[in-house]
Parts: sequence; structure tokens; C-alpha cells
Amino acid sequence: MIPASFEYTRASSVGEAVRMLAAGGEDAKVLAGGHSLLPLMKLRMATPSLLVDVGRVRELSYVRDAGDSLAVGALTRHFDLSRDELVARHAPLLAAVAGQIGDPQVRHRGTIGGSIAHGDPASDLPAACLALGASFVAVGPSGERRIAAADFFTGFLETALAPGELLVEIVVPKATGAGWSFQKFNRRAQDWAIVGCAVVRDGSTRVALVNMGASPLRSPGAEQALAAGASVAEAAERACDGLEPPSDLNASAEYRRHLASVLVTRALAEAGGAPGQEASP
Amino acid sequence: MMQVKLRLNGEDRQLRCEPGDTLLRALRREGCFSVRYGSDTGETGAAAVLLDGRLVSADVLLAAQADGHEVTTLESLNVATGELHPIQAAFVETGALQGGYSAGAMVLAAKALLERSPEPTDAEIRDALSGILDRETGYAKVVEAVRRAATALRGEKPGPLDPPILEPIGLEAALAIRPPADSTPDAPLALPRMVLSPDVGHTAVVGKAEPKVEGLRLAKGNAAFADDIELRAMLHAKLLTSPYAHARIVAVDDSKARALSGVHEVLHHFNTPHVRYASGGQSWPNPYPYDQVSFDDKVRYVGDRVAAVAADTPETAEEACTLIDVTYEVLPAALSASEATGDGAPVIHDETDSVGIYDAARNLSHHIEGQTVSDEALEAAFASADHVFTQSFSVPAQQHTPIEPHAVVGWLDEDERLVLRSSTQVPFHLRRMVAPLVGREVKEIRVVKPRLGGGFGSKQEMVTEDVVGLLVLATRRPVSMVFNREQEFISSRTRHAQSLTFRTGVMSDGTLVAQDLTVLADTGAYGTHGFTVQSLTGARGLSSYNCPAKRYRCDVAYTNRPVAGAFRGYGAPQAFFALESHLDDVAAAIGLDPIELRRKNWVRTGDRLDIVPRLGERGGVEDVSEEDLPVVTSCGTERCVAEGVRAIGWQRRDDPSWRQPDDRPNIRRGIGLALCMQGSGIPFVDMGACSIKMNDDASFNLLAGAADLGTGADTIFAQIAAEVLGVRASDIIVLSGDTDVTPFDKGAYASSTTYISGMAVKRAAEAARARIVERAGRLLGIEEEWVELRDRRAWAPDGHSVPLEDIALNALHTEDQEQIMGIASHWSPDSPAPFGAQFAEVEVDVETGEVTVTKLVMAVDCGVPINPLTASGQVEGGMIQSLGYGLTEEIVLDGQGRPLNAAFGPYWIFRADDTPPTEVIFVQTMEHSGPFGAKSVGEIPIDGVAPAVRNAVRNATGVAIDTLPLTPERVWRALQGR
Ligand SMILES: Cc1cc2nc3c(=O)[nH]c(=O)nc-3n(C[C@H](O)[C@H](O)[C@H](O)COP(=O)(O)OP(=O)(O)OC[C@H]3O[C@@H](n4cnc5c(N)ncnc54)[C@H](O)[C@@H]3O)c2cc1C
Ligand code: FES
Repeated sequence: MIPASFEYTRASSVGEAVRMLAAGGEDAKVLAGGHSLLPLMKLRMATPSLLVDVGRVRELSYVRDAGDSLAVGALTRHFDLSRDELVARHAPLLAAVAGQIGDPQVRHRGTIGGSIAHGDPASDLPAACLALGASFVAVGPSGERRIAAADFFTGFLETALAPGELLVEIVVPKATGAGWSFQKFNRRAQDWAIVGCAVVRDGSTRVALVNMGASPLRSPGAEQALAAGASVAEAAERACDGLEPPSDLNASAEYRRHLASVLVTRALAEAGGAPGQEASP
Repeated sequence: MMQVKLRLNGEDRQLRCEPGDTLLRALRREGCFSVRYGSDTGETGAAAVLLDGRLVSADVLLAAQADGHEVTTLESLNVATGELHPIQAAFVETGALQGGYSAGAMVLAAKALLERSPEPTDAEIRDALSGILDRETGYAKVVEAVRRAATALRGEKPGPLDPPILEPIGLEAALAIRPPADSTPDAPLALPRMVLSPDVGHTAVVGKAEPKVEGLRLAKGNAAFADDIELRAMLHAKLLTSPYAHARIVAVDDSKARALSGVHEVLHHFNTPHVRYASGGQSWPNPYPYDQVSFDDKVRYVGDRVAAVAADTPETAEEACTLIDVTYEVLPAALSASEATGDGAPVIHDETDSVGIYDAARNLSHHIEGQTVSDEALEAAFASADHVFTQSFSVPAQQHTPIEPHAVVGWLDEDERLVLRSSTQVPFHLRRMVAPLVGREVKEIRVVKPRLGGGFGSKQEMVTEDVVGLLVLATRRPVSMVFNREQEFISSRTRHAQSLTFRTGVMSDGTLVAQDLTVLADTGAYGTHGFTVQSLTGARGLSSYNCPAKRYRCDVAYTNRPVAGAFRGYGAPQAFFALESHLDDVAAAIGLDPIELRRKNWVRTGDRLDIVPRLGERGGVEDVSEEDLPVVTSCGTERCVAEGVRAIGWQRRDDPSWRQPDDRPNIRRGIGLALCMQGSGIPFVDMGACSIKMNDDASFNLLAGAADLGTGADTIFAQIAAEVLGVRASDIIVLSGDTDVTPFDKGAYASSTTYISGMAVKRAAEAARARIVERAGRLLGIEEEWVELRDRRAWAPDGHSVPLEDIALNALHTEDQEQIMGIASHWSPDSPAPFGAQFAEVEVDVETGEVTVTKLVMAVDCGVPINPLTASGQVEGGMIQSLGYGLTEEIVLDGQGRPLNAAFGPYWIFRADDTPPTEVIFVQTMEHSGPFGAKSVGEIPIDGVAPAVRNAVRNATGVAIDTLPLTPERVWRALQGR
């Protein structure tokens, strides 16, 4: 459980990080909190030749009011996110999700950017971002671009980020007063979800699921059903349409499907009605 | 190499590091030994430190990432020699440190919490501790420690820590309480409740909640554990383990590994001695089979030893392991006991030189039989029964997961004797067993047992020491070997998985007339402990209840799975899961109350335990005369049930409105019960010894062979000696488990330490006392039988007294000089059973199958608890370990025999924030054969939680689940089939 040898460099600005990544080529990787990357490296499932530590890029750690959205710096730690007042007011789902990740040590180190960039179907913040309709700002050698959360997660631990691109900001549309819920089914408090469900109802309803496929994803079945005016029970019934959840030692695919529909029901009930939507089952 | 600049405990430091060095490694290199290895990826929190005031896990942090930051370790609190910071003091007083391996992390978590929240709620405390796993305490006392620390830091005085005394209640009265509600006295749950017995006399030190004698060492994170020393030129060893479940090793080419710079030795089958042995640390002659060698030409499970490397650094050793070329001939594997014992199964032990395998061709390591009547009489008893029930159960392989993994540091001393500083529960067995494997005589070996961070039986096994010994002798350099977490899961030991079938004949009034228990057990790749564990399954499954006809049959099978061995409870948890689940269902089937059925049959004081002496490899009705059957000499079962009924609010289980709360339609509640018993040491076998000598200031050195593995043994030894000698526990300096220095002891297992070793301590102290009393008589001018020792003085009946210090000085320096000392050993023909009643209250989410345990109660008769605080720590920790057995824990392999959950993420043990409240009630009885009335308490708490939870789930939902663990999916499926 010792990582393969690698080079380490530390960036002090976004520009420097991008240059270092470019110089490092294909095998260079960003190191943020390290709570996903270092475990993979110890298991030798990741063997980068160069780590570019962005942990000291202070300009990446912030939550700002940007009018009709919140701008969250990629290096914002889960702990800070869970305690931030702006987040609590305008995107309480994000604060709730961040506050239930792992344990205090994980929340003190893990970053939202790392969680998103890692693209793990089992992690919680991607689902929250999907439910909130967030988008992500990336900076690369050829400049800055913005990617919608819905287009970002492309496969198992795969994202739309190009090699050499740095995720710098998460843009979260304000969901002030919207109905929301986060349901995490796990066997120990705060641990990784076996299945999770994040819901935001702000006129339309977005339903995102944790651990229900190869990547973080939304439930087209549930969302379409609700948009067509279906009841909560009908929407929950259709939550797994077209999804292929994994079977593993925590849960079979069949049980995951069942859990997802239970959690979707509970989340929709908790999120309550939103303008123009039917809430009661 | 790179420079890392940081502020460490207030001092600017520059550390030279490799990019891949974790902060954990770097800090330990700097001498911060309180930062400890528990896992590689942040799950245990044993390596937690403060980074800029926030708790972070140093095992998932590169040293380089700490550059420019402020790092605080436990050492920052250690300013004055011999003194404790208020948080450390609170941890010691409350008994929050058992092994104390993660003390640094816990104290720092508390410090960070209390700085931001001086008056934290329990939920905040549990959240702050949630990333630090504790396998020993069950967290109740840790939470209480943080609470007390908060009080102390606010400048207030924390309340006393005296266990509340309960007014005893009879069983009928308890069952009649209406409306039933749980009755928690107004005292923290971290304190046990006491029900006193009038037979127990007054004592000054025994029976008191004394703080642990090694509290300071643990609370300060001092270098107390095996791996906390660094010797000059020390090498680091790593094991290469098998990727295959079953294969022959055809060839090993170690040339590339040896060519790697920094590699000093590579050991494997083709360059090591071939000596058959059994790895279980048991009494001489070790039970059969001798089916292991240090490095065999065959691997029998994924994780089996293939080779070992010693190198300058752990990194080099690990890299060298990947350079060893092994040619395997892969063989078909048998991955379950039924597969292994079926037709056409591969023969796992096809070697010709193993000794004592029952039937190698059928993969049977052992066969065990025992019965109290002939087969014909048994069947006649069944025929006479009003009802006969047959029910089968299945229980998995659980792993001990001590937070401190197996660790050994070995070296040659100046006389070229091999010294092994090992995290072992059995230092003396180890010395004897390792000698032939490394080709040395016993006298050429010294085993030192340092502080242990938990063992639970896994360290009753020789799993690393022979390898380290061989490497030390080959390199003539000190060698350190520490298992990583994955190896601890796979290459250490597990609890035996079993399938059990009970057939029970019962009359309509609940009287048992026949009991027949059949077991198929899985011992994994080697047969260590296979006979004794499975014998205990029979003993425990067929002893708690009187029944005129009993029979036990057991096959123990080899499989290509991780090796099963000793694990706290030792065969009893399997038996009690089956027995107590079965009896609950039998009661329901014949329409009896579950307590009523049990009470009809449970053993009482004076009853004889008839199955135990009849268990053997030969089987048949052993000719044992009635007088030779062990007798129950003290038994508090009925009082335990009464106290538990009151504490859990038992009658609510019959109240539909409680069981199905209106406001939570998906929830069903239930309450379940299980009874249990254990032994106190192995009769005729276990022996402990102790020596005591008096110093100038009337302090005493107490040397005991026994091995405290976090349980508090050293503390109760000090209490027992202090009681006899009329001094304070803090006047006794305890050193235990060093084969060169202390007298012999069989070691820490079979719940023997308090009962056997504690009695040896008492006798040694009495021998020293005799010398003191004689001299005191002379000094006081009275007959010695009139002398009384108390408060560090010797007293005459008329009130004259002389300080013990004067007696010590007189003896050592001035008159008719002598060293006042005592030495004694003790064994026992008896093994008086502790008895207990365990209760669980659960909520089942019928939509998801999730079982949430909302309260656990254990009322236990362990005789007289010598120290209620450390004893209740044993109970709380044991209950939570058993809760894991019931709900979450199981080693799972894939179709190739590869482990799927050899890490704390996927293998779940309970954390501070999801552990239910636990209530411990000690029901005193006076056991005259034990020291000051004591019986054992170390193992019994692990026996009954799993069946109590299972029975509670049945009470809640009507669904009976006979396979552990009760995972949400398993419960959901059972509910589907309802
Ligand atoms: C014990 C434990 C328990 C956990 N429990 C949970 C849980 O319950 N729920 C949960 O959701 N998560 C959990 N996690 C994961 C945790 O939240 C991680 O911190 C998070 O997934 C990754 O964040 P990081 O900053 O540590 O990323 P890193 O590990 O540093 O990086 C992860 C990946 O993202 C890339 N990356 C990081 N930052 C950027 C960036 N700005 N731009 C481009 N690429 C980037 C890295 O190159 C790497 O590939 C747990 C982790 C541990 C160790
Ligand atoms: S001290 Fe808690 S697990 Fe060892």
C-alpha cells in the first residue's frame, strides 16, 4: 500500500497549475484534497508521474454571490461548504450533502472540485450539482470554458474535462426557497451511499441519483413522469427506467432499483410541492 | 528527496521527505509516536492530527501537502513529566482508553471540538469522533471523557464516577411493571449500574473504579506499542502473499528482488527450513493438526505466505516483493465447507508430513462428538416429546480488526539471543513455539509483549514472528514487520464460519427433553484452533439449559479461505446465535413467552454441566461419573433477566401502538433477548504466575506473565495486590508479559486472566504480606496474627501503627535484612461460568430492510467485578463487536477466493456516531474460587447481541432470519417473502 514513485510540484496560481500540467503531459494529475487520488495511488490503480498540488492556490477557495447564482471555488473544502451562510441560504442542499460526507477528517480535506473532477458514481456532491442544475468552469491551455453538470459526467471515473484542464469553479443557480431533499442510504451514518437521491424542485423537478450507474446521473424516468404530471408514486416507479445500477457486495442491482424508488419517493415527499407541481403522492 | 517546512507542535521544522511519504511516516520519523498506523486510506483515523487546527488523517496526506502549515500532534500536550492535560486526564479517569492505540487521534479530536464548542452536545461529540474507529470501548466512555473534559476546561468540577447502585428487583416484579418504560437512573450510561450481593464483603481497592495503571503512558501517546521503537540499522520486512486460492509453488526466482539496491534478504520455500507446526498459541502439547510450515510449497488461500523480504525501507521491501518471480501451478479450489466436504473436492492438505489431520482426503481437519446419552436413548427422548423442531443457521467469518495490526520488531541482543518485541497475547507460548521454526532453543529467545492495541484472539496466533525471527537470523540486523490493513483482514485470522442445525424435543409446558446440535465448521486453509473452538461451540450450545438427552456432532472442514482461529467468544457466539434464536422461535411456536420457556430450563446454582467433559474426538457416550461433572457454583441468570427486563422496558414488545408508531408508517419496533454464559479459563490447563517485591518506599514491583491486551488486566492486578498489601493501586508498578523477566503465564485467552492470573497475583501478594506482617509484629511488639495492613501502615489492635515504608527500610537496610517478596502460581480445576442476559431494542424500516438498533442492555453476573469501570468497558466494547457480527461484518470472497472487502470502507464496523446507547448492569454474585469473588467478563458480552437483535427483528416484523449478518438487503428479501 505504497504508491509508485512520482514527482511532486506545487502551484501557487491557476495559471501556474495549468502550465505545470501542460509541461507534465498525459501522466500529470491535479492533487487537491487527495482523498480520492491518494487511495487510488496506494492501490496502484492510479500511477501518475507528476502531481500538481493545487492545495495552496488560495484564489480557488471561496463562495461568492454572483447575482442569480453562487460561485464556488473548486478548492472549497466539504467542511467549509457545509458551514457557509450563502450556501445555506441559496443552495441548502449543497450544504446538507457536504455535511454528510465521510467523517470530519474527510470533510476537512476533500474539495468540491476533486469530488466533481473525480466523477465517481458513488460520491454525493456530483448528484447535488446535477440536482441543482450547476455548471462547471474549467481552465486549460486554450482558455476557459463552461460545462453543464448534465453534460459533464461521461462514464466511470470519466468526465468532460480534457487532460491538462483545471476545474476552477462550480456555478450553482440560486435555489432560494426551492424544495429540496437529500436521501442517503448507507449502513453507517455519513459513510458512502449504497444509493442516494438528491432532489430540487424549483418550478421543474430534478432528480439525481448516487451509485445507480457508471457515473453520477439524473433519473430521466422520474423527471419525465413528474413533468408529465404523474404522481410521486408513479414517478418513483419509473425512477430506474433505462438505468443499469451495479451489483456489488452491498447491494444487488435489483435491491438498488428498489432502494432508488423508495428514496425518490421520500425525497419528493420531503422536497414538497413547488410552483406548478403536484407534491402529494 | 525534498524539503518540507512546517510548524510542528509550535516549532519550525524542516523535514526531508520523498514525494510519496505520507505525513504519518514523516511524523513518526520525527518521533511523534502518538500518530499511528491503522489503515492506508483514512478509515481508522488512528493517524489523525491537527492541520491548522482541523483534524485530518495523516495516512491520506502527503508530507508535502503539509508544507507551510501548522501540524499539531498529541505530543504538543505533553509538557510536564508525569502530568496530564485535562483532556488526557478525563480520558484516563473515565476508562476511555482500552488499548489506547488511537488515544492521540481521540484527544486531538476532542481538543479541536472543545476549542470551537466548549459545551458540546452528545451528537456533536459523536460526530467529532466519527472518523476514529475504536474496536474496544464501544465509544460510551470516550463520549463521556469528552463531556468531562469539557466540564473541566470550563473550570467546573465534573461529577463523581461512582457506579450507581440499583435496588434489586425480582423477575415477577420486573415483568409486572406497567407502564413499561426504560428506567435509566440519573447517571451517565458510561457508568455501569451495580446490583450488590450481600455475600460480598468490604474492600478498600477491589471493586472500585480505579483509573488504569498505564493511563499516563496511553494518554500521552508515549512509545509503548511494538512498532514504537526504531533501532539502528533496522530493516523493514514485507510479505508476498498468494494471489491464488489454491496452487502449487513450482519455482521461485528471487534474483531480481535480491539485485534491487537496499534488499537484504528474500525468504521463501526453497531457502527456509521445513518444520510442521500449528500456529495457535496454545498450551503444550499444541493441539493437532501440525499442518503449516513457515513457507510451504503450496498456497491454500488468497493471502497465504509466499515469500518475505527484508530491506532498508518499507518501500524497497514492497517493491522487491513485486520483483519475485513465482511459478504457480494453479489448482481447483474449494471455497465453502460444503463444497470442500463434497464429492470430487480438491484435497487441500495432500502433503504427507502433516501430523494429526482427522481425514485429509475428505478435507476434514477435525471431527468432534459428544453426547450425554446413547443414540437410542436420544431418539427415544425425541419420540417422547410433544413437539420436535429442527432449524438451521448460518454464521459468517468475522474479522477481529484490532486497530493496531500485528507488529513485531526482532533483533539479536548482545549475547546473540533472539529478542522478539511482539504484539502478542501469548508471550510464553510464542517463545516455545517459535524456537523450532527458527532453529534456536527456547533459552536463546526472549519475547517481550509491549502495549497492545487490541487483539481479540487474532494475536493468540503466531502469524508473523517466525518470519521476523528467520529474517533477523539471516541478516543479523534488527527487523520490523507490521501488517498492513489488507493483510490484517486476510492473512491474519477470522472467526470460524459455521452452519448449525438444532433439533429440539420439547414438552407443551416448555420443558426440554432432547437437544441435538450438528455443526459444519469452516477452518479455512489451516486447522489452527479448529478442535478447541468447535468443542466450545458444542459446550456452549448445550450447557445453558438442563435437558436429559443431549448430543453434539461436528465436522471441521478445510477450505481455500482465510484461516479461522481464536476470536473472542471462541465458538460461543456461533452457538448462542443458533441456540437463542431457535429457542425464541420454539417458544413462539408452542405459544409460550420467550422468558418463560427459558426459565423452565435454565441452569441454576448446583446444577451440573453434563456435556463439557464428554466432548472429544472419539465420540460416543463418554463414561463420566456424575461427580466429575462440573457444578454451577454461582449463577445470577434470573436476577440478570429481571434487571434487563426493567432496563429495556420489555413489555413494550407486546404493545401494538409502540411496535407500529402512527407517525412513521415504514417503521416497526421490537425488543429481543438472548441469554449467554462463558467460562473463566480452561480448567486443569490454564496457569498464571506472579512475583511481587517490596521497594524502599513501600511501593511494589509486580511481575506477571499475563498479557494485558487493552483489557485492563494490569490495573486489576494492581488492585488485587493493593487490597492484600494495604496500599494504593498506584503503589503497585506492574510489568507483564516479558519471558526473561516475569514468571510464566499461559497468556490472554479463554477469559482466564482475572480468574486464574488474578488469583496468582493474590497469592503472591499474600506471600509478601506474610513477610511484612511478621516484621510488623516484631516492630509493634505483637503477635503477627493481630497485625492488619491498611492505608500503607501496619496496625496493632490497640491503634498503634507503623508505616509500611519503615518496614521496607528496616528489611532492606537495617535489621536481619531480606527482600520482602512473594511469588506464586495458580491453576484451577474449575471454570466458573459468568452468566448474562442481553437485550436489544430495534427499529426496522420495512421499506428498505434497514435495521437500526436503538438500545442495547446487558445485565451480567461476572461474580464481583474487580474494577467496574474496566469491566464495563469490556462489556460495552464486546456488545458493539457483537452488534457488528449481527448486522454488518462478514469477510466476502469472489468466485476465485479473492477478498472483496479487505478494508474498512467495505467492511463495516460501528463508529461513534452510529453506535447505539449501551447500558451495563453488573449483578454481583460471590464466586468463592475466584480472587475476591471474581469470575470472567472479557468474552461473555460478545455472545448474545446478535441473537437478541435477530429476535428483536422477529418481534418487530414477524420475520425470522437465520443467517448473519442481517444486512438491509437480506432483511428486505425476508420481508418480501413474508
Ligand atoms: C475515508 C473516506 C470516506 C469518504 N466518504 C465519502 C462519502 O461519504 N461521500 C463522498 O461523496 N465522498 C467520500 N469520500 C471522497 C471525498 O469526498 C473526496 O475528498 C472527494 O471525492 C475528492 O476530493 P479531493 O479534493 O480529495 O480530490 P483528489 O483526491 O485530490 O482528486 C480526485 C481526482 O480529481 C482530480 N482533481 C481534483 N481537483 C481537480 C481540479 N480542480 N481540476 C481538475 N481535476 C481535479 C484529481 O486529479 C483526481 O483525479 C471519502 C473519502 C475517504 C478517504
Ligand atoms: S484503543 Fe480503541 S481500538 Fe484500540
